[in-house]
Amino acid sequence: MLVGIQLEDRQTRTSVPFEVVEEMAGYLQAVALRRCQRSFSKLFSHFAPRLRSYALKQMGNEAQAMELVQETLANVWQKAHLFDVDKGTPSTWIFTIARNIRFDMLRKQRNRKEDICSEDLWPVLCEQTASPGEISLDHQMTLQQVGVLFESLPEKQRLVIEAIYIEGKSQQEVADDLEIPLGTVKSRTRLALQRLKEMLDQDD
Amino acid sequence: MIKLHPSYAQLERYVEGSCNAGEGLIVSAHLDMCLQCRSKVTEMENSLADKMLANQVPLDPAYAEMCRKIVELPAEIGGTPALHQTLELDGRQFTLPRALRRYASQINGWSHMVGKLWQARVDLGIDGRADFIYMEKGGSVPEHTHRGSELTLVLDGEFSDGLRDYDTGDFILCDGRHTHMPHTDADEGCLVFSIVDQPLHFTSGLARLLNPFSHLFFK
Repeated sequence: MLVGIQLEDRQTRTSVPFEVVEEMAGYLQAVALRRCQRSFSKLFSHFAPRLRSYALKQMGNEAQAMELVQETLANVWQKAHLFDVDKGTPSTWIFTIARNIRFDMLRKQRNRKEDICSEDLWPVLCEQTASPGEISLDHQMTLQQVGVLFESLPEKQRLVIEAIYIEGKSQQEVADDLEIPLGTVKSRTRLALQRLKEMLDQDD
Repeated sequence: MIKLHPSYAQLERYVEGSCNAGEGLIVSAHLDMCLQCRSKVTEMENSLADKMLANQVPLDPAYAEMCRKIVELPAEIGGTPALHQTLELDGRQFTLPRALRRYASQINGWSHMVGKLWQARVDLGIDGRADFIYMEKGGSVPEHTHRGSELTLVLDGEFSDGLRDYDTGDFILCDGRHTHMPHTDADEGCLVFSIVDQPLHFTSGLARLLNPFSHLFFK
């Protein structure tokens, strides 16, 4: 298996290329919405060798480094829906998860009874924090379910819903973009929402 | 308006995760209140992430197994639930920064100290001690200096200490170089959160008599 190529980069400017950021964000989204294993393995091949390098430096031994990498990527797999593309890049998100896990691992190692855990200090995996529109647990689940069901909508309806609810366009803008009458946009929206609601009800 | 912020070094330790737990907690609470520091931290996290994840160490076969095991795990929807804990004192409700909410439920009531001063200890299990301190209008802490360092975050209201004025959100570091006497004249009083790693050292008047015993207050 060919994974990880030693970079020659010697701490010069290390900014990640835009296309890579986009690509990784796409994989994260696919994991969040569809539990896509292929996308996860792409994330894994990109990040595991990097996290391993970080972990070896931080933890100093192979076993703990491996634990840190595993915990970090397990969180990525299990909590991909908490990644918010508006808040930062995939590599920042994944790095902050690793930093937090490292903090908790070292804390446990010192065997202290410190009550402070990493999520208090760095709310990386917290439900959307501090911001006014705090989303309840129920709402989160619904969003999650909707994400999965969304994929099963007819393509025409999905495009409309995507433009309105994800890209935040108005119905008129969607009509202009797709070159269809406003009335069609409205009826597709209504049908799609109706269908989603039916599917959600069935789910319960 | 917030005028006092954590130093660059303190933010750097926070971003790296190399800070001690007490410092990290109080910096985090400041970030909940301070947009300016939060955007600085976001920037620092981005460049640190790029730097820390720039190099790669090739994987051995054990990692392929790891990847297979991970995708067998179920999704964890929801994340850590957000708390809405407030702090109550004397019929007043204080909204706390996110970082401190979990601890508000752990305090064992308020104790009344000298000079219109209320104190509620929080057991963080760290070296030193952490307290919510509330000064009523006209309240003051006897003049003191510090053997170690004292980190204070103003959570609500304002106070002065003879050196300068402090406002909600201000992040204050005091050590042996500072001798001060915090007091407040604000009608609504002032609530702060403070972490000290060594007992205070009182410097004037009768309060000096407290010094031999200050470890008793401290522990």
